[in-house]
Amino acid sequence: MVVVACGGSDSGASTSPSSDAGDRVFAGGVAPPTEILENPFDSDTDAVVVGEGLFAAMNCGECHGGGGVGFVGPSLVDGRWRYGGDDGELYQSIYAGRSRGMPAYGGILADAAIWSIVTYVRAQPIPESVPTESWR
Amino acid sequence: MSDTITRLNAALEGFASPEHRVGFAASIGFVLSLILVAGAEGQEAPREDGQWTMPAKDYAATRYSGLGEITPANAARLRPVWTFSTGVLGGHEGQPLVVNNTMYVVTPYPNVLYAFDLTEEGYPLHWKYRPDVNPFALGIACCDAVNRGPAYADGKVVYNLLDGHTVAVDAITGREVWKTKIAELSIGETVTMAPLIIGDRVIVGPSGGEFGIQGWVKALDLETGRILWTGYNAGPDSQVLANPDTFRPFYDEGTELGLTTWAGDTWKLAGVPVWGWISYDPDLDLLYYGTGNAAPYNPEQRLGDNKWAASVMARRPADGALVWAYQFTPHENWDYDANAEMILADLTIEGARRRVLVHFDKNGFAYTIDRATGEVLVAEPFVEVNWARGIDPATGVPQVDSTKLTGASKGNVENICPSLEGGTSPASPASYSPRTGLFYVSTNNFCMSWEASEAAYIVGTPYIGASIPYTPGADGHLGAFIAWDAVRGRKVWEIREKYPVWSGSVVTAGDVVFYGTLDGWFRAADARSGELLYRFKVGSGVVGAPISYTGPDGKQYVAVYAGIGGDWFLVAGDVRSDDPADVRPPADFMPDLARHTSQGGILWIFALD
Repeated sequence: MVVVACGGSDSGASTSPSSDAGDRVFAGGVAPPTEILENPFDSDTDAVVVGEGLFAAMNCGECHGGGGVGFVGPSLVDGRWRYGGDDGELYQSIYAGRSRGMPAYGGILADAAIWSIVTYVRAQPIPESVPTESWR
Repeated sequence: MSDTITRLNAALEGFASPEHRVGFAASIGFVLSLILVAGAEGQEAPREDGQWTMPAKDYAATRYSGLGEITPANAARLRPVWTFSTGVLGGHEGQPLVVNNTMYVVTPYPNVLYAFDLTEEGYPLHWKYRPDVNPFALGIACCDAVNRGPAYADGKVVYNLLDGHTVAVDAITGREVWKTKIAELSIGETVTMAPLIIGDRVIVGPSGGEFGIQGWVKALDLETGRILWTGYNAGPDSQVLANPDTFRPFYDEGTELGLTTWAGDTWKLAGVPVWGWISYDPDLDLLYYGTGNAAPYNPEQRLGDNKWAASVMARRPADGALVWAYQFTPHENWDYDANAEMILADLTIEGARRRVLVHFDKNGFAYTIDRATGEVLVAEPFVEVNWARGIDPATGVPQVDSTKLTGASKGNVENICPSLEGGTSPASPASYSPRTGLFYVSTNNFCMSWEASEAAYIVGTPYIGASIPYTPGADGHLGAFIAWDAVRGRKVWEIREKYPVWSGSVVTAGDVVFYGTLDGWFRAADARSGELLYRFKVGSGVVGAPISYTGPDGKQYVAVYAGIGGDWFLVAGDVRSDDPADVRPPADFMPDLARHTSQGGILWIFALD
């Protein structure tokens, strides 16, 4: 087993994570009605600090890597999302887990704690150079 | 007559050290007398049937093939003759089997078992077996969803599933014979190791050293899959199966060592997994395996020697009784798992014939140990080592450099060599040729810093507590493939590689050794000189172990997986391209590996043209 603090790209960072996960395909072109999950903290900086602490304390970084750069689990700082990257979708991933290995934390974390982690993850800068890795 | 001399010389080479062969021009009579003497000492190479039925070829785990068609003189004529995509992208560790002209291949998760008919052109499948494997195991497996291969006996192909099951599949029909749950996924146990079948016993063990498991080995009944015994690697003697009447470690005394060497009840989260290889000596009736790291990575949370983490264990297959044990790395501080193979050989040391096991540890030392007693006969570093100055020959204890000890109170401890990837990885098993008397080992040349922190145990999540960046070792190469003299404890030759060498190897009676590189070169080298004879770019980095076998046409073949993964799935995450939602920066100690390789599971077969 390995735990490596991978050096990320130092290129300029954008502060607006983009996600295409919302561009779903709906049968018949009609989106199903869904319950809207609203993040009570929005981008509250205190929640970011609390979330950073919980990210470490709950062993999130042991799978997603220090700073969420990707390790056993996928990167959380590339602006890309398997299961959707808006606040509510991240909440669902943490609360209920995902079948490719993400454990469900809803049984041990209160709502406020999960929302703090969501707020921390969403506050991470996304490198501009994500799509291209060049050796020339 | 000249053919006779050639054969005699070839036979003699199996009994003489490389030095003794220099200038050899003996008379026939001298040759014959040596052969007779050596034969009396039981130095014969194992009988060769052209198959590959066990993970490491034989009980002794030599990965030595008695086939000699491919030689240094003709290896340049090697060609790929067949390839097959396994359809799976995870790290393809381990090796195929060849039994009765059928090749059996187990993939990483989801652990598909393929059976190829080697008698038909194009090697079509007899069948494939697709088990239902719990995908949540992907989040419990620490280091990619690897599998280190199947074992064959009594008409069954037996292997482990990542989610904690062992299955036996009928070798002819592909029908499942039995399936046994052996590990508990919910507490962090997965299974990646290759089982060994000893008589009617299937020996298995778990991964999970990063999840605070209490590691064990189990024996299953080959016929039914029923669990016959479980021996833990830490805990009370009753669980460790260390009966005071029969447990005789060479260096340690006392009882309840698996309990009293752990502060409080930290043994319950000891780690000590079994994710490597098992070997067996039928004469001594002992099975051998290495145990993994102690958990968590912050050693201040588990004061004491932490037996039997990072140790070799010798047990009776019938009831699991522990006969002896030796701890390579007491109070394991650096994730120095001892899961690498124990290769059994008979060597002459200081004039005496010794039944030894040879082990290349992650901690950077190569050990030659009396396999009847556990006495360390030789222990020398085979890579750059700075965490210890040596191994005390009187006590077997490493002379540790205290400045390299880690822990949450110690801050960031820099420049520890070797890294936790090991001087060699247990994922890349070595080979041994009784002809050359040499061991062939894939090695890594990089170091690490270790910043430990308090680890929180949350069941079902990692239990680690450390940040550990890597730095390249000396001389500008990250790995090497070496030949090792286990009698003298010294390197005989090396082939330096740009990247860590993470494949296993096979060495043959033709004195050719085969291995692969992380950037995807499959290589053949002269087993005596290390001269490179042949190479071919196989499409993905090699982390599997090549095998050699005889095809239905009587020719010698060499098979190997391409398919980078294992720890490199984590550390060099930019070698993947399958998930558009997971894009990673390169590893800063090795920024250009992804320029040369990408994930992909491919089985390759080579032969002379």
